Amino acid sequence: MPGPLLEVRDLHVEFRLRDGVAKAVNGVDCAVAEGETLAVLGESGSGKSVTAQAVMGILDMPPGRITGGEVVFRGRDLLKLREDERRGVRGREMAMIFQDALSSLNPVLSVGYQLGEMFTVHRGMSRKDAKAKAVELMDRVRIPAAKERVDDYPHQFSGGMRQRIMIAMALALEPDLIIADEPTTALDVTVQAQVMDLLAELQRELGMGLVLITHDLGVVADVADRIAVMYAGRIVETAPVHDIYKAPAHPYTRGLLDSIPRLDRKGRELYAIRGLPPNLTRIPSGCPFHPRCPLVRDVCRTDVPPLYEVEDGRGSACHFWQETLHG
Amino acid sequence: MAELKKNDEAAVDATPNVTAVETVDAVSTEESVAAIEAPVERGEPILQVRNLVKHFPLTQGILFKKQVGAVKAVDGISFDLYQGETLGIVGESGCGKSTVAKLLMTLEKATAGEVFYKGQDITKLSGRALKAVRRNIQMVFQDPYTSLNPRMTVGDIIGEPYDIHPEVAPKGDRRRKVQELLDVVGLNPEYINRYPHQFSGGQRQRIGIARGLALQPEIIICDEPVSALDVSVQAQVINLMEKLQDEFNLSYLFIAHDLSIVRHISDRVGVMYLGKMAEIGTDVQIYDHPTHPYTQALLSAVPVPDPDAREGRERIILTGDVPSPANPPSGCRFRTRCWKAQDKCAEEVPLLAVPERFTSSDTPAAHESACHFAEEKDVVHAA
Repeated sequence: MPGPLLEVRDLHVEFRLRDGVAKAVNGVDCAVAEGETLAVLGESGSGKSVTAQAVMGILDMPPGRITGGEVVFRGRDLLKLREDERRGVRGREMAMIFQDALSSLNPVLSVGYQLGEMFTVHRGMSRKDAKAKAVELMDRVRIPAAKERVDDYPHQFSGGMRQRIMIAMALALEPDLIIADEPTTALDVTVQAQVMDLLAELQRELGMGLVLITHDLGVVADVADRIAVMYAGRIVETAPVHDIYKAPAHPYTRGLLDSIPRLDRKGRELYAIRGLPPNLTRIPSGCPFHPRCPLVRDVCRTDVPPLYEVEDGRGSACHFWQETLHG
Repeated sequence: MAELKKNDEAAVDATPNVTAVETVDAVSTEESVAAIEAPVERGEPILQVRNLVKHFPLTQGILFKKQVGAVKAVDGISFDLYQGETLGIVGESGCGKSTVAKLLMTLEKATAGEVFYKGQDITKLSGRALKAVRRNIQMVFQDPYTSLNPRMTVGDIIGEPYDIHPEVAPKGDRRRKVQELLDVVGLNPEYINRYPHQFSGGQRQRIGIARGLALQPEIIICDEPVSALDVSVQAQVINLMEKLQDEFNLSYLFIAHDLSIVRHISDRVGVMYLGKMAEIGTDVQIYDHPTHPYTQALLSAVPVPDPDAREGRERIILTGDVPSPANPPSGCRFRTRCWKAQDKCAEEVPLLAVPERFTSSDTPAAHESACHFAEEKDVVHAA
């Protein structure tokens, strides 16, 4: 097992808002190895995107503030780097793919120019060489007739094609790590399957680490090696993908799995996790999931559960993980 | 049936160069034949849709507008909705499923075709008669953030339908009615004076549902009612909708792109592609015995939350994107992305009918499918 490429240690991020301090990330620990796919699963407000932004160094500060922790990438703590050093890491060593390709691409510049920019800025190439590189990249993400389309603008491409351009842009400088934030959420299922396939194939080919941020339990099961489930800014369960679907060790994970309808059979009434996700300015005491948890006891209201080791490479932040696992 | 089909195919063949509208007419007659033969085991349908067409004109010029074409959003679809059942409509973006919802609500005027509500064609109605019918067909929208007026209280939002149909609830009775509705959808009746921003997404969707229920309709058209919600909240809303259906004997037309949710809630499912119905049948027929290649591709592309299934399942990855509905392919609309496409598919529009090879047998594959080469293939269950 190769050493971790990226290690996040005890990361804390908060946002100062008018109505208080929203604690978006509260002590996240996770690691990604080379060539590994880590899926970060969570609902809206769970802190999954904020964690990614903090790792990439693109968090809006203010209102955001990193109040603690380390982001160690290849042995260096990125949070201690100067902004200009950080910029050298971004794009070259780690890159990001966003959910909404249409608003992430500049509408007044051709896609060829935007792809080429990676090379003119980071590699000091001439415009002409950069354009040739752009065509090469578009071929690589299988955009048909790349040569003819290199001067087209983002609006001339379909949603799936635009997302391919985003992937091409992330791959341009052959980074070691790609963070994909809901890369297929805006796409139709048939196109989603195309894009996920492409991403998985390119990852295998280039041996990159991939962090896939999503709320879709189905997408995760299809591509991930390992899963980290987030709730209220914490990782509540982490495990290899096969284990977590077979036997979740946290009541939240179990609730999520039970609440999705199945494609291959018609189920009975869906299990619904009661209540609502917490307000981040007023996170419940003790275990943040306790107001919604079916197993709640007194200790859950007072003591924050640490990430207990369930077995090697598996953790659960539940005082009663054994009960959940076997129950 | 076979003979009828042949005649109609001949009719289509004989007129290859007709204009768009005429082609639709030709297709219409064939499909009405197929639709009338639909099984009637559920009693009288409450809503019958026949050859419904909606074309949005594409114009050129500023002062002197000239029609240069049409976006064929819905191009001749037929189906029935029975009392107390849920009919799911699935399809990718741009397939026309939301336009169908608007047509049934008579929010858009149909270009051609009929929608019969209890035997009455509502596309021809206007004024008082239309208003009376609309009371019985209500809608729940996708986005709970934009479908509620932020400057109205919850009480005003849910009570607004009573301003239009005062016969349902007399003035003095409205507040109590609204509070009852809040209770029915699982919200605290004391929230009646709050504003939408004070609620979460799932709670807002409950408000939208309460508004849909206010006039005690028989049919509720739900256009992607849970796709904006988080997984844990989605289940709550789906369960609520099922409970309400049992309680009030509602018929749902449930439009969504999430195939797992549609299977869960629907009794029957229709699959749309580029303005046409590709396949329609019971949930078992569509999900376990699909015969149309588009349905098969769609189902196989859905990621299943089971990592063990990822090796065992066959994936059909379609190439390319959905063509533009302004210029759909000739013949079968799916042929440009279909792996089975042959010359016949470019020439003949396949009819929505039970494929001939299955008509005599009693298999679940014997349901309506618009493919020349329909054949059963299970793509959902791992081998």
